[in-house]
Amino acid sequence: MSKRPSLFSLVLSLPLLIWQLAFFLFPLLFLVAISFWTVRNFQMQPDFNTGNWVRIFTRSAFWDAYLRTFCLAAASAAITSAIAFPASYAISFKLSERARRWLIFVLIIPFFTSYLVRVYSLQVFLSDAGIINALLGKFGIGPFPLLNSTFGTLVGMITLCLPLVILLQLFSLNFVNRDLVEAAHNLRCARFRTVFLVIVPSAKVGLVIAALFAFILSFGDFVSPLYLGGGNPPTLSIMITDITKSGQQWPRAAVVALTMIGTLLTVAFLSIRFAYRERGE
Amino acid sequence: MNDQMTTNSIVKLDSVVKKFGDIFAVERVDFEIGRGEFLAIMGSSGCGKTTTLRMLAGLEDPTDGDIYLDGERVNGKATWDRDTPMVWQSLALFPFLTVQENVEFGLKMRGVSKVERIERARRWLEKMQILEFANRNISQLSGGQKQRVALARALVTEPKILLLDEPLSALDAHLKVRMQSVLSSLQKDLGITFVYVTHSMSEAFSMADRVVIMSRGKIEQIGTPQEIYREPRNRFVAEFLGSANIFTGALSRKTGVYWTIEAPDGSFEINAGKVTNKNEGDSVTFIVSAENMNVRPTGSQPNGITVTVVGEEFVGATAILFVETESGAELKIQKSHDEFSSLDTRPGSKLAVHWDPDHCHVLPGE
Repeated sequence: MSKRPSLFSLVLSLPLLIWQLAFFLFPLLFLVAISFWTVRNFQMQPDFNTGNWVRIFTRSAFWDAYLRTFCLAAASAAITSAIAFPASYAISFKLSERARRWLIFVLIIPFFTSYLVRVYSLQVFLSDAGIINALLGKFGIGPFPLLNSTFGTLVGMITLCLPLVILLQLFSLNFVNRDLVEAAHNLRCARFRTVFLVIVPSAKVGLVIAALFAFILSFGDFVSPLYLGGGNPPTLSIMITDITKSGQQWPRAAVVALTMIGTLLTVAFLSIRFAYRERGE
Repeated sequence: MNDQMTTNSIVKLDSVVKKFGDIFAVERVDFEIGRGEFLAIMGSSGCGKTTTLRMLAGLEDPTDGDIYLDGERVNGKATWDRDTPMVWQSLALFPFLTVQENVEFGLKMRGVSKVERIERARRWLEKMQILEFANRNISQLSGGQKQRVALARALVTEPKILLLDEPLSALDAHLKVRMQSVLSSLQKDLGITFVYVTHSMSEAFSMADRVVIMSRGKIEQIGTPQEIYREPRNRFVAEFLGSANIFTGALSRKTGVYWTIEAPDGSFEINAGKVTNKNEGDSVTFIVSAENMNVRPTGSQPNGITVTVVGEEFVGATAILFVETESGAELKIQKSHDEFSSLDTRPGSKLAVHWDPDHCHVLPGE
């Protein structure tokens, strides 16, 4: 019963270890390194130049994009969670085991189609001459600028996150102790109140992690802000591509990317700490 | 039916049926529970005892029949509209609330002001001797402490009735006995009705005023622990209690105050006063409790048989000798260690067993 990892478990974790070293840790370190490099005549040169960081952090355009991206991701996480919860609750608490299994399968179907393809088809729906505006036009309203707007971006992001968030919420709701729900009812807490006083606190960890995933996916998303949001004003992902295209400024793009990673790590750390926080001594 | 209800009963079940699909969980159950009574419902798993309790709590609705609580028919009334707090087997304490917040929960739902809520919750925590843990997280408590929180949470609203679903089953033997005395004295102090579901005879018999024994959705017997122990109604109850030897035979002749019974293992006499509504030739089943069996090395005795030892088990200060008759029936003899010491109790040895005809009890339900 020694605490030292056995050779067997070391061998088992080797594939993951190699993968993470090769495709996560090494590129990350490389990213940190090039954020200090210098670009001369469209050529990158190894250097220790803090100018890239200063340059990015002193530009108000960067902070505008940062705030916009952060708010979009937060809104996407909040709206997705709010739309997903009633469905997850109904599936977990009101359906039979059999019906539940079928619905989980149905919820996986959106993953069968590429995200890009889905976004292109959304363009058809949201454009000024698109299906939604055409329908609204029949009632004499619109057309509304659904495409190339914040609305469009959010529709794309929520479409991206919704199935995953429902699945994550569903699994956490399935683990809610049903005795607690009955105990609340028995103590005069009627159905609706029980949802907020007992079920949500019981499933808190899963609900927070689901929202966190929606935030992470939306924060780094490039497709929806560009193809549904119009790309202007840019989000951080769009800004990264703009910077690399104009003058090969990979080091400055690295600064933006590292700021994004730092933000996500902070948000993830804070959410998980919030999720696992316990009441009382 | 309601008018027949005596003013002393707080609960009345009138031919209550509960079906899950095609399966009867509870099949025509009738009984009343008196005010301030400690009633235990006992049976093995799947006998319908928990379903009966859940119907009282309003967590299940009866398929047929009527349930009255305090004179009011409550079929279809949701659990949150009843005053029937329950203590769960799992205790069902809210892990995301502190001990005190758990106890306050029921008061909060009733709209009791915050000041009064805190005051009442703390009074109950003190009564249950867990006030020092008021601000703890539930996961920081021991099994016995959690038990006390669950009781405080259910009782803080001062209900007329408390429902308990095997609340002690997760505790070790020592703690179980201690909590039994806590429950007993609590029930006497408060003077409210306790309905206690258990599969444990020792819990039911040590605490309850009356015990309901259920099997396969039906009631086998209702009575005080003494009544049930001394005079089980039928073979099921006698076997469930497990402390008596069961014999079946036919009444052959009556001599004086004794009937003679012809059974596979011989002829026995029983007190005729215990045989009612039976005639010569009728089959009767009677029991002799394990401690009323007398045992000698050899020799035939009136009302006796020869048995072969199968094994021995020590139960505290006494021992139970398991023996087999010539016809293969299994019997038990419970005596102090001293009484067995002069006998050869090795498996396979023969012993003579006999009993007093007045110590037999005839099962009326057979």
